Amino acid sequence: MNPNPTTGHPARRYGALAALALAVWAFLSAATTQATTSSGPVVRLFPTTVLEDIRETGQVAEDMENNLQQIIHRLDMQQQLYTESLCQGADGDQGCERISKQLGATYLEMLEVMSDRLPEMERAVNSTRSSLEKRLRQELGQRTTPTSLQNTLLGEAGTAAAAQEDRPALRGRSGVRLSDRFKQYYDLVATSQSAPSQSLAVVASDIYLDMEEASLLISATQQEISRAALMEQLNQSFGMITPEMSAVVGGVKEILFGESAIDTPIASPPYAIGDAEFVSPLAM
Amino acid sequence: MKAKQAMKLMLIIPLAALAAACTTTDPDYCAVNLRSDLDGAMRTVETKLGSGCEYQFDGYFQSLLAIAEANPDKENRRAFSDHLMRVHEMGVISRRQAEGLYNRYFNVKFVSLQGDYNTCSQTCPIRKQVMSDMRAELHDKELGLLRASNDAPSFYRADTLLKETDLVLEATCRACLAGDVR
Repeated sequence: MNPNPTTGHPARRYGALAALALAVWAFLSAATTQATTSSGPVVRLFPTTVLEDIRETGQVAEDMENNLQQIIHRLDMQQQLYTESLCQGADGDQGCERISKQLGATYLEMLEVMSDRLPEMERAVNSTRSSLEKRLRQELGQRTTPTSLQNTLLGEAGTAAAAQEDRPALRGRSGVRLSDRFKQYYDLVATSQSAPSQSLAVVASDIYLDMEEASLLISATQQEISRAALMEQLNQSFGMITPEMSAVVGGVKEILFGESAIDTPIASPPYAIGDAEFVSPLAM
Repeated sequence: MKAKQAMKLMLIIPLAALAAACTTTDPDYCAVNLRSDLDGAMRTVETKLGSGCEYQFDGYFQSLLAIAEANPDKENRRAFSDHLMRVHEMGVISRRQAEGLYNRYFNVKFVSLQGDYNTCSQTCPIRKQVMSDMRAELHDKELGLLRASNDAPSFYRADTLLKETDLVLEATCRACLAGDVR
């Protein structure tokens, strides 16, 4: 038998070609049917531009963390030394004054780094927020009805459970480093492009609200930095540790390292339902 | 004189018929003591509904739910679906009412989150009300799915859907508002 159907006897050749055409047609029909049944209304929340924004914001956050991590660690150590040396209220103690001044100097250093880095961070966060805002408005706000939104979240295509098993669980709006959170976000949405888009609506909403909060915090921190720097320069003359210093350092840690963690996951894969479900003729 | 008697009869007969009809919708007649067998109770209810006790439908339905709650079973969902279909076919409730009741108690999806207009214009202006209605509906699903049908996965899925909807609507409605401002 000729292994190549295109070079054999004409009748056999046409037969083989017909069989091939039939197979191709069958394959294409099957693929089309599958695409039709599994797609539903396509919600495109994470086009390449949004993905790129998320990736870039993660990179900027990582740079900022690397710059601040050592300084904040030093601040923590100095704060601990100050507390353990019972310096609180020990006016006139030379050792305590020295620790206090060192602490103030480190604090100023942190403010300087932040003042350098925050504008870029703010730009990146706002860019991600803005692109997600646009997608959410268009895709979920304007192109989706309440009924279809519910279907999208539930995953009408029925393959959501299998596709989501491999996804990393998000931790919501706190508890992890900012850059790690963006890495998680990026991995989550970048590896889910081929999967049904149902729970991506939850991911997009989570990131968007997170970015809104981060943007407000960054903006508030920026406004405070110059004032805080001026205050600290004055305080350096007196060697005081103010509650304001602790608050600013706490705020920075919260933004960057997620240290005021709430462990409630906001976005998690939906539950799977068994195959042999009763479907009522009255069901929506 | 004969004509007068005939007139009297013509008045008396419809009145007597009306009185007879009234006796069938007597509150005592419509009041039933449903037993723990859900199928039997449904049949009793359907008989009553078919003989003038339509106005008792809501009360009967709650009693049936209570029986199902006392005897949880996965098949109860199907029983309620069939019962509601029959009651609809009897003309006691509309198809829409049957769907509303079934979905409110036995479906993961929320009747409170429905509509054909876009989310920005339909849901966002009344988001708090929608969420409040969904929370109330989750209580009914707890009865229908969890307590009456013993279907914990579906109930927890509805619970998750409520939380996800809250998050997604908060974000989407903010995005809609931001678009309006610009």
